[in-house]
Amino acid sequence: MLDLFARNRVATLIVVLAVAYAAIGAVAPGYLSGATASVVISNSLVLMLISLGTMIVILTRNIDVSSGSVLGLSAAVLGLSLNAGAGLPLAIVFCLMTGAAAGAFNGLMVAYLGIPSIVATLGTLGLYRGIMLVLTGGRWIEDLPQGLKALAGNLGFGFSALTVVVLLLVALAWHVLRKTRFGRYFYAVGDNRAAAHHLGVPVRRVQFTAFVATGLCAALAGLVFAAQIGFIPNQAGNGVELKAIAVNVLGGVSLLGGTGSVAGVFSAVIFITSIDSALVFLKIPAYWNDFIAGAILLSVLLLDGRIRQIIDRRIRARRYAVHARGPVPSDETTTAQTVEAGR
Amino acid sequence: MTDQAATGRVAQLTDIWKSYGAVPVLKGVSLALQAGEVHALLGGNGAGKSSLMKIMSGVIAANSGAIEINGRPLTQASPAHAQELGLYLVPQEAHILPNQSVLENICLGLSASPRALRPRVAQLVAELAVSLDLDAQAAALEIAERQIVEILRGLVRDARVLILDEPTSALTPFETNALFQRVRKLQAQGVGIFFISHKLREIREICRTISVLRDGVIVLSGSLDSYSDAEIIDAMSRVQITEASGKDRTGRKVSQIGQPRLSVRGLSGEGFRNISLDVRAGEILGLAGVVGAGRTEFAETLFGLRPQTAGSVVFDGAEMKKRSPRVCIDRGLVYLPEDRQQHGLFLEAPLFWNVSSYLVHRLPFFLRPGAERKVFETFRSSMGIKCTGPGQEARGLSGGNQQKVLLAKCLSARPKVLILDEPTRGVDVAARNDIYDLIRKLAAEGVAIILISSDFDEIEQLADRVEVMAFGQSGGALTDNISVDAIARLAFGASEARHA
Repeated sequence: MLDLFARNRVATLIVVLAVAYAAIGAVAPGYLSGATASVVISNSLVLMLISLGTMIVILTRNIDVSSGSVLGLSAAVLGLSLNAGAGLPLAIVFCLMTGAAAGAFNGLMVAYLGIPSIVATLGTLGLYRGIMLVLTGGRWIEDLPQGLKALAGNLGFGFSALTVVVLLLVALAWHVLRKTRFGRYFYAVGDNRAAAHHLGVPVRRVQFTAFVATGLCAALAGLVFAAQIGFIPNQAGNGVELKAIAVNVLGGVSLLGGTGSVAGVFSAVIFITSIDSALVFLKIPAYWNDFIAGAILLSVLLLDGRIRQIIDRRIRARRYAVHARGPVPSDETTTAQTVEAGR
Repeated sequence: MTDQAATGRVAQLTDIWKSYGAVPVLKGVSLALQAGEVHALLGGNGAGKSSLMKIMSGVIAANSGAIEINGRPLTQASPAHAQELGLYLVPQEAHILPNQSVLENICLGLSASPRALRPRVAQLVAELAVSLDLDAQAAALEIAERQIVEILRGLVRDARVLILDEPTSALTPFETNALFQRVRKLQAQGVGIFFISHKLREIREICRTISVLRDGVIVLSGSLDSYSDAEIIDAMSRVQITEASGKDRTGRKVSQIGQPRLSVRGLSGEGFRNISLDVRAGEILGLAGVVGAGRTEFAETLFGLRPQTAGSVVFDGAEMKKRSPRVCIDRGLVYLPEDRQQHGLFLEAPLFWNVSSYLVHRLPFFLRPGAERKVFETFRSSMGIKCTGPGQEARGLSGGNQQKVLLAKCLSARPKVLILDEPTRGVDVAARNDIYDLIRKLAAEGVAIILISSDFDEIEQLADRVEVMAFGQSGGALTDNISVDAIARLAFGASEARHA
């Protein structure tokens, strides 16, 4: 049982989530409904995309703290080109290209110029936000066309077109990371860079690709953000990168690289978003949100740490149990005696 | 050699030059390797051996010169390219991905999936006569098992040229024999092997040809049979070395051995049980056994790094119940760990920080780097540590010099009992002799020494008395007639029975 939880962060999260849902459902019976589920899913899209991108970078033992700014910049490019009269498909292409370029610049600095990722992306966190502010003149982008907002509209069962795209992307990420050779490289590079290089893994290309993928995810998040909100404030996406890192930790992605799963990140995003929606439902004032989310994050991590310690201790005991078994084979004593006698 | 038919040649290096900044490390090295040849490559610290290996395997680029593998030129400095041409370097320190399974570790970088390669890997594991759980997480592997993973990586890649960089330094003699059998099989299949080792006995056993590298130049090359051990050692170092295989106990007499310093009674813990031993001032106690016999666990338990389950430890007449590294260091019980990269050195820190690190809790709040540097300089001159200065990072030193820095660190704590765990692993002959002299000198000064080693030659040369551990238990003791054979019989008596 403990083994299951330690090896499987998803299981831990689901159990905790189920308990939480049951408790909230008992207090406020209306909470457990299809409507809530649809709200949770649509509210989770932005965080899902940012967390997924961040996860890919973290797997390679880097970090990206610029995602929030990439989100804002891509959304601004989207909004400005729409308001300048570009068609929606073209504007979306511009938006995604902005994200890819921003990610590529991060990747260039980290993978090819050897700048530590935390330093490089802290720099671009400011830089990209700055470019966005210059582009928009510091103003909010409003009056976005209906076509954009329709992307976030309900197609049935509370699913919008964007929801479908995001879920497909999650499935794609899961498939690439789990089932393909290139996906395995992300884990290998983060686990032991030197070993990966030694075995012919194109380390730099893998790191670069991870940043580009993150940029694309952030741009897509910008699109979702703009479609859902209907306008683009100049602080769009501010702080979401830190939330995404917290989600990754909660989802069992090691900040040291090399471990983590899409399923873990997915459950963690749903978990965090559910808490937010439950607090709204329970009419707890919004200023409690951060406190409660932080407290829950810490409790899960503490619980998880305790379980891990117990398991480690068991594994250790099992490994050394071999030596504590019965007397030595008699051959050994005879050999020893022969040597003794030989002297 | 170079005139031989090109058909049988699997690797050819021509006039390789390499310098780091202004310092030349390779000055026109040429080497050839025939199919089915096991070619010993020797060289002291800083001879340029590891640079040559890195160039051959595509890790770094040479400044000039040509490399051909299987008749095809190595055109870019990329390990993947070298592996594609059919060359695999089995490094001394295994490259392991701790979070991946053993199988994934072996198959990483190959186009076939681990699942498809599994039968083949399993077969290779069986042929190598090792026990290795392919599904275990690699983080749990011991040093010897990590080495085996590396060798398997080379084998599964069907390499035509293998470079084995001190492959036996972490293997038990049993595993070494299995490896040698495998090497002979590969040899019969026409694989060429560069075999790097400091153990002349092993080289004689497995190699046919030899090249010795000194200061970036090949100083001796040819058939192994035409050179004596002395000639080889001489070519390698050009420094007069105390007779490598002769015993040197003349500096000390048994009468110098004094009071018991450390008495261990019935100590049990993780990986060993019911071990009793005594060591007296001025005595070198050899603690022999094969890898996995529980010697390191025993030492770490003594030093307070692991919990003990039973037994008592009496140090200088008083029982030490609660032991922690700090308490042990303060009382004068000091442990030199086996794995200097992982447990010993602060690789990025300057050398003088490393030396004073055992005593950092005794330093004043406001540090005095000048005094620390002076302490380091004293050790540097007395031990012959080769470095650019006390401020150099430990990472930049060769294995032998790193080991000397570690020893200096231990000595700075003024030990009464010094536990040395594999003090000469991965150290070249010259530095090894320095370390042997130092150990003898320490004993002569009255330090009680527990010498843990899998190299039974080393125990035979140094130890006044030997305790053998086998499978976590006491395997017997030797007080006189200490010989490699006697030690081996005690150490393997049990283990071979288990394997059979």
